[in-house]
Amino acid sequence: MSIDFLILMKSEMSLTLIIFILLSLKVFTNDKNHVALLNLTNILLAANFVFGFFFNASGELFNGMFHTNNVIALEKNILNLGTLIVSLQAFDWLKNHKHLLEFYVLLLTTLLGMDFMISSGNFLMFFLGLELSSIPLAALANLDLEKRKSSEAAMKMILSSAFASCITLFGISLLYGTTGTLNFAEMPKHLTGSELQLFSFIFIFTGFAFKLSAVPFHLWTADVYEGAPVPVTSYLSVISKGSIVFIFISVLFTLFRSFEGMWYNMLYLTIVLTITIGNLFAIRQNNIKRFLAFSSIAQVGYILLGLSSGTGAGATSAIYFLIVYTFSNLGAFGVIALVSAHAGKEEITDYKGFYANNPTLSWVLTISLFSLAGIPPTAGFFGKMFLVTAGAGKGNYVLVTIAVMNMVVSLYYYLRIVRSIFMDKNETPIAKLKGSNSIKLALAVCMIGVVVTGFATGLFENINTLIGK
Amino acid sequence: MGPAALILLAICGIAFAGGGILLSRALAKKSANVVKGEPYECGIPTTGTSWIQFHVGYYLFALIFLVFDVELVFMYPWAVVVQKIGMTAFAEIIIFMFILFMGLLYAWKKGALKWM
Repeated sequence: MSIDFLILMKSEMSLTLIIFILLSLKVFTNDKNHVALLNLTNILLAANFVFGFFFNASGELFNGMFHTNNVIALEKNILNLGTLIVSLQAFDWLKNHKHLLEFYVLLLTTLLGMDFMISSGNFLMFFLGLELSSIPLAALANLDLEKRKSSEAAMKMILSSAFASCITLFGISLLYGTTGTLNFAEMPKHLTGSELQLFSFIFIFTGFAFKLSAVPFHLWTADVYEGAPVPVTSYLSVISKGSIVFIFISVLFTLFRSFEGMWYNMLYLTIVLTITIGNLFAIRQNNIKRFLAFSSIAQVGYILLGLSSGTGAGATSAIYFLIVYTFSNLGAFGVIALVSAHAGKEEITDYKGFYANNPTLSWVLTISLFSLAGIPPTAGFFGKMFLVTAGAGKGNYVLVTIAVMNMVVSLYYYLRIVRSIFMDKNETPIAKLKGSNSIKLALAVCMIGVVVTGFATGLFENINTLIGK
Repeated sequence: MGPAALILLAICGIAFAGGGILLSRALAKKSANVVKGEPYECGIPTTGTSWIQFHVGYYLFALIFLVFDVELVFMYPWAVVVQKIGMTAFAEIIIFMFILFMGLLYAWKKGALKWM
């Protein structure tokens, strides 16, 4: 049993080990040499990412509480990669931060929670993972200790996510009351579709929609994204959302498969609202982090469009899109993190004439925004294309038309930023920024990812075969 | 039944909670004076507002207490089955306590145990 245990839980084990190394460093050394500590952490995270590709096995532990297979291992690897990129991008901000090791301990604890959540085979385990991944995030949002907005973001986040957790928990308890089990494998047999079960499903759906910041549960997103430090914002918008999408896929597709007629209608409404409202509000934002918050809300709408198909192709396209989204969104956030750490500017008007002094960074930001908008040579186009194709599989062309028309609307606001970077004149443009090697590496990885994942057609097929079995 | 029962339950719940408040407001005899408004109707009158800053040390102590409280609660069920499971259980509880001990060391290092 003991060897099984180590292999099946290897990603959690390695993360726990890293957390302990960092905590011991905090306790037993005087952590004065920040550059060395940051490099060490990045190397550990890179090792963790590489280790994720080996010794993957399928199986379950603790009477089905915890289960893993190749798809879950892939999902964990995507999260590991995203965390590594975020960590590389945080270098310039963390170099002078007093609580560097605390940042990493909290960050990796949330990642551990997400791993447990994705692997959960039981609602109790799922809820523990969800909480472990959301409570430290509120502390992370408060890590800009001198800024009042940062505290405000943390407060808003903890209060609203506590409320959402309560609703989810209430749904779970109703489900337990009607089925008598919390196990994912056993529950579908007891789902009869009675009113109480539909009720509990609505509550659980609400909890997920809140964490995904799907409209109408999106109100916390913009404020939290604006107040939190940039690396935390990028972590929230990519990794945190990604993990929820992964568990949402398995909850919808396997657990609540018998309610498909109902959740399709709920998703339909959520998708239309999410994409439209996300786009309309993104148009009028002046703060670039708020802008990306609404852009990420709209992107979630497209991911849900893929999920609404209810097929393996839908799940594949969602996972594929999340890989693309990780690269393109983190590319954009990397530039913003660099500008924020060195120049302290976060308004869209500050980016006017950005090209004059920082041509390379301008191109990185532009390509990332093109990929988010879904313009052909970038990977974002292929990601959106697969999602829309999967969504069209149900034959609901009204939904697909709304989604595609919104894509045209989204072009306007992404290009608005590109225009202010390249064409607008500015008396005092942002001076030439000298980023650290670490942030440059992260941006290079993102750019390679944005280009390569689009053309690597084998990737989509690979995910599809993993899911198909 | 089904939804009707749920709605009935909700109405009953609201009526039960709200009815008591409304009834006591309607039936009770009203008398207002300064002492009646005090949170505690005994001892000396309080001074100042309640919006004062508490020392953060109180919260830190409460947090550290909570950690070890939960540890003890967890050790009760462990103590019941430790003989049956044997060395594995012993190793697991050592790891568990080690994790919490690291937390204590961290708090110690940050000066949370010092009363200023």
